Amino acid sequence: MNKYIHIARANFINNLMYLQDVIWSSAFIAIIIFIFFNLWTVIFGSNQYIAGFTIVMMLWYLVMTESIVTAQSQVLEDIGEEMITGNIANYLNKPYSYIFYKYSYSIGRSIIKFLITFIMCGIVVFLLLGPLNINLIYIPCILLIVLLAMTLNFVIMAFLGVFAFWLEDAKGLEFLYSKIVFTLGGMLVPLDIFPQWLHTICLYLPFSYIAYYPAKLFVGFGFILFFQILIVEIAWIAAFALLTALVYKYCIRRVSINGG
Amino acid sequence: MVDRKMVLQHLKTQWAYLKISIKTALEYRLNFIVQTISMILNDLVWMIFWFIIFNKFTQINGWKMQDMILLYTVILVAYGITGVFFGNRSKIAISIVEGRLDYYMTLPKNILYHLLTSRASWFSLGDLLLGMGLAFAFIPLNQVPLYILLVILSSIIILSFSIISGSLAFFMDNSEETCRTLNMGLISFASYPISIYQGFTRILILLIIPAGFVSGVPVQLLKSFDMTWLLYMIGFTILLTIVAISVFYYGLRKYESGNLLYVRT
Repeated sequence: MNKYIHIARANFINNLMYLQDVIWSSAFIAIIIFIFFNLWTVIFGSNQYIAGFTIVMMLWYLVMTESIVTAQSQVLEDIGEEMITGNIANYLNKPYSYIFYKYSYSIGRSIIKFLITFIMCGIVVFLLLGPLNINLIYIPCILLIVLLAMTLNFVIMAFLGVFAFWLEDAKGLEFLYSKIVFTLGGMLVPLDIFPQWLHTICLYLPFSYIAYYPAKLFVGFGFILFFQILIVEIAWIAAFALLTALVYKYCIRRVSINGG
Repeated sequence: MVDRKMVLQHLKTQWAYLKISIKTALEYRLNFIVQTISMILNDLVWMIFWFIIFNKFTQINGWKMQDMILLYTVILVAYGITGVFFGNRSKIAISIVEGRLDYYMTLPKNILYHLLTSRASWFSLGDLLLGMGLAFAFIPLNQVPLYILLVILSSIIILSFSIISGSLAFFMDNSEETCRTLNMGLISFASYPISIYQGFTRILILLIIPAGFVSGVPVQLLKSFDMTWLLYMIGFTILLTIVAISVFYYGLRKYESGNLLYVRT
């Protein structure tokens, strides 16, 4: 376990060295938040509430969803490419599990990216609309849910990445997956805005636990909601981790590596 | 006066690059198809987002779903054209930083034109195909000439903005991310109804990050034609093109070659 913590720590520090790149990509998300501010200001007009959200809640919701989803590195593409090209061989003879290594590596980057994006976008919303009304003692609970959301995002990506082995393409698959999280996960707009039938379907899909539920908890904390999200997130992580382990085991037996 | 022989030579070179590029892309046929389809699906996802918004709110400051479809017919084709025919527009900054302009400077072709056309981004083919499909379905026949003119102007604005942002690399260190953020900012601002931008923001997206001229103004002109705004758009496009070319060639005087060895494939 210790070695994985070291890998995560090393990549966390590594990303601090390239802070300028992280800041620029977070600056882009801040631009998006500014566009959303314009969009929702017009949509709200004189309405105080839309689907249970005030405009302040709506913008802070979007800060949270954007920060979580865009924090994830290109895990699906990386795993997929390594499967397709055979570069996975470089990892197989090392004294660690390939998937755990990828997770430690990815989470180190995701944490720093999440924090910077959240701070930059948070400043934009704070200046435009003011703070969110939240009790600070809930913050540890919310951070736990966010960490699990990023872990769930990772395990789904790792699971799909293994499938690139057959599809011969990882970039397209990554692109598609990210768009599913953008929409069905509730990153671009809260699921409460969706038509009722679609809203119900999305609530049962794992993608809503990556963006919608953590952000919903952030803007309207409740302990019942917290425990509900916690249990379902852990269940989804366990299910996808198991599936990934099975498919990965099957694939590794079929990987053929030619030359060096 | 423009030398016709010279223009033909440049077009022939571009055609040769396109042929090589498509052959390379088709070498991995399944990958090529998956990428094109995923780009189309990506665009459709955004359209679904707008369907959801307009299903709930009907209109946003006078913009309806039909207007968003018009917006997509313009930006998808404009971005598709710049990606397929001027695919290197997103690599200007990195070419400058890595000293890759040497290759273009030593050949008897226009440096900027050669740089822009020497690569095709086939990811953009999906944009182009979907945009053309939407245009075919939603642009009335009598508006086709206006639509073509607006798409060409919009493409030139995107291209000029890419040249200006890419040329920052002549003047700044580590400008690749700045350039990328500026270009992504342009498409992001352009992908939303112009009616949501008010006051200073509207001036910003018309004159500083010209997203308004990439999509908003063309859509307004297609909805209700106004000669004054068409002339504004033509004038702005000419001005931005002159600025882009001037900035690039001014920056080129500061260009320093590197000692990085690389193979052009």
